[in-house]
Amino acid sequence: MRMEIMGEAGPDDARTHRRYPFELREPSDGLHIRFAYSPKTLEDREESRLLMERSIALYVAPDQQARALENVDRYYPLKNLITISVDDGRGYRGACHRHDAEQRLFLSEEEASPGLTRGPVEPGRWCVTLSLHAIVTASCSYRLEVWTAEEGENR
Amino acid sequence: MRWIACELHTHTAHSDGRQSLPELAAGAAALGFECIALTDHNTMSGLAQREEVERETGIRILPGMEWTTFYGHMVTIGARAFVDWREAHPQRITEGAAEVHRHGGVAGLAHPYRIGSPACTGCYWEYEIADWSDLDYIEVWSGTWAPIKTDNLRAYALWTERLNAGTRIAATSGRDWHAQEETDEPLSVTYLGLEDERTPFEDEAVRALRRGRVSVTIGPLLTLEASQGGRTYGIGDVLVRSAEETGEPIEVGVSLQFSAREGRWSLPPQTFSLRLVGDGGILAERAVDAVDGGYRLETPAGGTTWLRAELWGVVRGARALIAFTNAIYYETGEKGARTP
Repeated sequence: MRMEIMGEAGPDDARTHRRYPFELREPSDGLHIRFAYSPKTLEDREESRLLMERSIALYVAPDQQARALENVDRYYPLKNLITISVDDGRGYRGACHRHDAEQRLFLSEEEASPGLTRGPVEPGRWCVTLSLHAIVTASCSYRLEVWTAEEGENR
Repeated sequence: MRWIACELHTHTAHSDGRQSLPELAAGAAALGFECIALTDHNTMSGLAQREEVERETGIRILPGMEWTTFYGHMVTIGARAFVDWREAHPQRITEGAAEVHRHGGVAGLAHPYRIGSPACTGCYWEYEIADWSDLDYIEVWSGTWAPIKTDNLRAYALWTERLNAGTRIAATSGRDWHAQEETDEPLSVTYLGLEDERTPFEDEAVRALRRGRVSVTIGPLLTLEASQGGRTYGIGDVLVRSAEETGEPIEVGVSLQFSAREGRWSLPPQTFSLRLVGDGGILAERAVDAVDGGYRLETPAGGTTWLRAELWGVVRGARALIAFTNAIYYETGEKGARTP
């Protein structure tokens, strides 16, 4: 089994999940996942300032807003954040909630990348879910690859 | 009652922490903690090492998970099965909490006023809560040197507001501990009161959270009891009085243990201020010295529906809340009919 997805997301897609199901027809010795997205950060300071002004107005107590704006630099650069979770035919196999813009993950009966649960890789309907926590750039492109150990990396 | 020092909000490399579970547990032991809850973001995979690390470090590890959702972070502790955080709906977070309860766990709001999206999506609590009794606690002190942080002051005010509205809800601290980094900032400790040591530790600790047998501090351990009609009630209990009894003053005992986690924290020498607080504000106040001891205070008759103790003093040049107990609740009704 091999799946390759190229995708694109914008600010309006933030706070949504994207599910990529696939069918595993035979048991496998292990499953590889490679996920990368880009860009990671918003370098435009003017745009960052606008986003943070809106955020501070929404979340910071009125009497603290001026101070928060003075110290707004500590939030820069603003970051895109997409995290991965995995389900097999029986249920949840964990999540990898971290800020890395590229993650190479593996799971098998004997071992699993931190965040994922080791266990047999059995036939059934699997799913990789991308959780788009924050998209601060006008667009963010990503590439998701999933393949079984039997397939090999093929590149 | 045995009070155990806990750190209830931690992360490892299984999510975005920069520490392993053995490193985290060893760090907690060095700081005089007896128990941590492992609350990685959206995964429980780190718990595979739990028993081995408990054996090696002597630290008890409670299973947990921080629901890191788009509209709020909800810490869950003690659930025996995974509950799907991805289903969280902006208007129906309490369905998730109910599912956690069905699996034996408790759920609390993590750092409810930390700035949200896009700096930290979900860090600010945006979920509607139709019925507050669906949630077990509010993490009112987040991070280090917690008492003076403005986000925490808002969370503490939220807790007080909920108590005034009649909600029975606990308040905790959580460092949101991601790495073994040296800090000279005061660290918060959540003490959980274990009532029955014959029941399994995990069950008893989760019950303490659910019942609000909780005391939080950056220094000494502060505990509270109230007596009426020959019965004594502890933190988290409901003191039921008959209508006639509400006219009588309630005798309150407060205990301070400066020897708790001795050597792991320090406060400048001073005379502290001990307060009893209820829904009418400050009910009683007295000066106390930095020695282990118990104090009897009398609160005015009638009025309050809840009571907590607070210890105030000067820390790092600022007047700050140093410790607070969770509430004892008062209810007027049939005497002896104790609400569970």
